[in-house]
Amino acid sequence: MKPIIKVQNLSKKFRITPGEQPGLQYDTLREAIAKAVKAPLRRWRGNHGEEGKDTLWALKDVSFEVLPGEVLGIIGPNGAGKSTLLSILSRIIEPTSGRAEIYGRVASLLEVGTGFHPDLSGRENVYLNGAVLGMKRREIEARFDEIVAFAEIERFIDTPVKRYSSGMYLRLAFVVAAHLDPEVLIVDEVLAVGDAGFQKKCLGKMDDVTRSGRTVLFVTHSVGMISQMCEHAILMKAGRVHMKGPAIEVVDYYNTMWNTLAEKRQA
Amino acid sequence: MSKHRRKANMKITGNQSASPAPALRQPVAPTSPDTPEPAAQTTHHLVHHYEVPDKPVVVIESSKAWVPVNLANLWSYRELLYFLVWRDIKVRYKQTMLGALWAILQPLVTMMIFTYFFGKLARIPTEGVPYPIFFYTGLLLWTYFSGAVVMGANSLLGNTNLITKVYFPRLIIPGAAVGAGLIDFAIASVLLIGLLLYYRFPVTWGYLMLLPLIVLTTLLALALAIWLAALNVRFRDVRYALPFLIQAWMFLSPIIYPSTLMPAQWRWVMILNPLTGIIEGFRAALLGKEFHWLALGYSTFVTALLLVYASYSFRRMEKHFAEII
Repeated sequence: MKPIIKVQNLSKKFRITPGEQPGLQYDTLREAIAKAVKAPLRRWRGNHGEEGKDTLWALKDVSFEVLPGEVLGIIGPNGAGKSTLLSILSRIIEPTSGRAEIYGRVASLLEVGTGFHPDLSGRENVYLNGAVLGMKRREIEARFDEIVAFAEIERFIDTPVKRYSSGMYLRLAFVVAAHLDPEVLIVDEVLAVGDAGFQKKCLGKMDDVTRSGRTVLFVTHSVGMISQMCEHAILMKAGRVHMKGPAIEVVDYYNTMWNTLAEKRQA
Repeated sequence: MSKHRRKANMKITGNQSASPAPALRQPVAPTSPDTPEPAAQTTHHLVHHYEVPDKPVVVIESSKAWVPVNLANLWSYRELLYFLVWRDIKVRYKQTMLGALWAILQPLVTMMIFTYFFGKLARIPTEGVPYPIFFYTGLLLWTYFSGAVVMGANSLLGNTNLITKVYFPRLIIPGAAVGAGLIDFAIASVLLIGLLLYYRFPVTWGYLMLLPLIVLTTLLALALAIWLAALNVRFRDVRYALPFLIQAWMFLSPIIYPSTLMPAQWRWVMILNPLTGIIEGFRAALLGKEFHWLALGYSTFVTALLLVYASYSFRRMEKHFAEII
């Protein structure tokens, strides 16, 4: 079968020191002018500040494919490049090199409640957040009652969300996102919201989503969630794909990796 | 609740035993039910029917330095533009007592101050136009223009959370800021209609020029807003320089005085300011005076030039917004 997501040699380089990126990362105009004056001099000396200690490859030659309907988990230690990968696939940042193709509509959920405005009411925020996440107004209208009922905030729907408890806020934010209907869903650790009861409800909802045949890319630190929700998983380490395979195997490997690391530290 | 738990548990057992339970899957995706599923797929629970198109919907790669504005893409995000304008308006007047009345009060009070000091005391010649209406026509357009430019220039910084978390054409953000200004302009125009009636200015053919003039003002504000907004992401200097520059621009525009106040041989200097043609055109349209077509043509030309430059420049910087904002 043809893949729905094709990622080929995706790489992303970040400059660590601001101001070192030619023509880009100056904090003030004065610095920019100073840099513009110095630039020809630097070129003449052959010093481009290109490679070396002031750059970091957050992603390096990452390639993988995802089949339609697959739920792919991405795990890895902090700084492995998981979030950078999701940001690139969500078109928030551009890769330095490489290419990715997605054969369907994408919705990204990199945080809950993106675009929520504290002064607006729950009702207004549902519409705003839905629009930000790419829903059409008619879609939001059609699902509005369901969203409010699921979030269990019927009574407070016309209260400004700044007066919500943090739990209510997160519930509403999650529920709007859970009602998205794209072909590809990109999710970054947003499931850990609300109390235990609501988390269970969310997991159930996510499970429905994954069962409905949608393709899901899912980043999390929770190994339990990966083995529970994903068929396949990718383990990332230092910007590269370290391992890919069935979720159970990758999770096992990841756990042993940590255990050996812990043993080494103890020894 | 028990239903969800059951599902979740079942999923785990399904994975561990590697035995699929296809009957429990409900295919909902856009279907082509007649496509037979290859047997191999069921080993990892794939009972969906999304037919993968031949051409990718989204291609992600490092873009070239100069990219034109993708109008079709912008058009497909028009609902988001609508919602962001709606949000800006809603938020602006939340928890205020007077609400949208502020849109009228600001130019009204300024007009009253101007009428007293520049009119009654300084006796600035206004070509026979009553002071209140002379100042209000200028202030109405200026309040809209300057507000749209300032709001637009700060709009990207004010929406950092959107820029770093969701994709959409970034031009929507300064566009929405200008759009919200247009709503305030419409509200404040009500008072202008009152003034025109009070001073018995007749409706003339000049009114036909009102719409093109408002469009021109909007486009000029938009051009500056998108250029400054992008620049503001890189250089926060914009935020500090802008209030001062805008104030200077107001005194260089024919708001408090007509451009004829300048000695004839220096009048062309006034017209170099693209707002001169627009503001005086606006007055001419409303008060039944002669249009200065050369100045209007020049304003249109400058606006078009700025708009093209600003949108290219915005697109060039757009891809770095999420990284450097």
